[in-house]
Amino acid sequence: MSGLGGVVTDLVADIDAVFLFSPSTASYEAIVDESDVPVVVVAVENTVGAELFIELPIEFREIKERIRFGMEGGIDQEYIDTGTIILCAMNLFDDGIDSVIRVRAGEFTHTGIYDLFVNSRAEPSVIRNVLEVVIGLGKKGQKGKPVGALFVVGDAGKVMNKSRSLSYNPFEKSHVHVGDPIVDVMLKEFSRLDGAFVISDSGKIVSAYRYLEPAAEGVDIPKGLGTRHMAAGAITRDTNAIAIVLSESDGLVRAFSGGELIFELDPEAY
Amino acid sequence: MAEINYIINSFLKDISNSILPLVVFITGVLVAIIVGRLSRRLLIAAEVPEGVEGTRFERTVNRLGTSTIGLLSGLITLFLIALAVGLTLSIGGVLDTRYYLELLRGYLLQVFVAALIVIIGLIVGDKAEVEIKQSLQDVKLTEMSLLPSAVKYSILFIASLIALAQLRIETAALLVVLGGYLLGVIVLGGLAFKDLLAAGAAGVFLIFSDPYSIGDTVDIDGHRGIVQEVGLFATHIESDEEEFILPNHLVLRSGIVRIRS
Repeated sequence: MSGLGGVVTDLVADIDAVFLFSPSTASYEAIVDESDVPVVVVAVENTVGAELFIELPIEFREIKERIRFGMEGGIDQEYIDTGTIILCAMNLFDDGIDSVIRVRAGEFTHTGIYDLFVNSRAEPSVIRNVLEVVIGLGKKGQKGKPVGALFVVGDAGKVMNKSRSLSYNPFEKSHVHVGDPIVDVMLKEFSRLDGAFVISDSGKIVSAYRYLEPAAEGVDIPKGLGTRHMAAGAITRDTNAIAIVLSESDGLVRAFSGGELIFELDPEAY
Repeated sequence: MAEINYIINSFLKDISNSILPLVVFITGVLVAIIVGRLSRRLLIAAEVPEGVEGTRFERTVNRLGTSTIGLLSGLITLFLIALAVGLTLSIGGVLDTRYYLELLRGYLLQVFVAALIVIIGLIVGDKAEVEIKQSLQDVKLTEMSLLPSAVKYSILFIASLIALAQLRIETAALLVVLGGYLLGVIVLGGLAFKDLLAAGAAGVFLIFSDPYSIGDTVDIDGHRGIVQEVGLFATHIESDEEEFILPNHLVLRSGIVRIRS
């Protein structure tokens, strides 16, 4: 037993910050009162009224992704720097904190996943809504069949100028925004159309059915991905937009920014 | 013999005289308790507990060992018990019936309604404060913390005015204060929000008529670029280096040049 106790003591020895992932109010307050290092809350919503808070766009199932997002957010908001040793506490199973992980902030390579959400042109809530729609689409598909989809979010004016319409735009003269209740159904229906959805910074659905015509030179995306991903990577390199792609062949959701693949996740896991 | 008879008679009379008030009193208390319970359930069904959650009033009441709905239903029970007591006393002949009716119609009801109004005012004021605070959470501006309290105290002021009027206390002076306050808010607010209102009205027109849409190249008021966003209050136009955020009333006033190429 004493050996195990030593391991736990080593885990919490000289840490510089504590990251709490979606804590309950009681456990947050208990830790804040006790702790002599900064306590940062990483959660979808700041329900505990924490001073240091990093907003998760979605509840990443993958713990690594969650921690990575927290780290990049912490560095970006200057709560921590790359040398900081952090204790991550979270709950994996039932209520309450049941896992602690010790990590050095610099151990992760910077992927820009936090940047993608927070420092894109489009508002974070818009990106989150689009991601939710795409995950929903990936889960259920269109009438049970797997579908592919491409959403270009932000910098809509430039994107519209770098693309052309394949056919009549069903969203012309409409003022729907992603996140409106009816929109999920509409997007699902229109996802059988070819081409990309264009969404503005504030979340307005500008167009469907767009054929993207960016210059694809120098776009570096993993080999084996199809034209849809290539188009997504290229448009984000050519404009300040980001792109969220649902792959028709492997069913994964991928996000691109600045011509690079930022992250991929499996919609089935959400 | 006659004397005993008289004693028994008067004893029976006394009993029959006191049974009726007793029955009335017990029934009254029972009704009060049942109505209190019912109103409690009604308040829970109307999701009042969720509504008052997090308000300072609820917290204070919690510290006193009850809850807002407990207080409200308790108030109703108390009111009905007071009615029952009054009724009992008036039937028992202790209280003049006319006086009782006067009391019932007049002061008791007024006090009850006034108390209710004060409680509702406190809750609504607290709730408004909490809601505004939450919506302003992202704006990290210390001066903004004034706004929630201002709204809260305005609501409290109006509620206490109504409550005082219920109690037929002279409120003319306070009404003058309220009038001055409202006038100030409306006149100054109107002045301050003049441009926003104009921009909003123009924005509604732009959104409905859609003279230009996202992706068009336009020239508005000498600012040439691609339309990035058409909002209710402003239009965002972006050129290679700059992004212009134009209030919509300026867009209407100066006209729009659509560049076709």
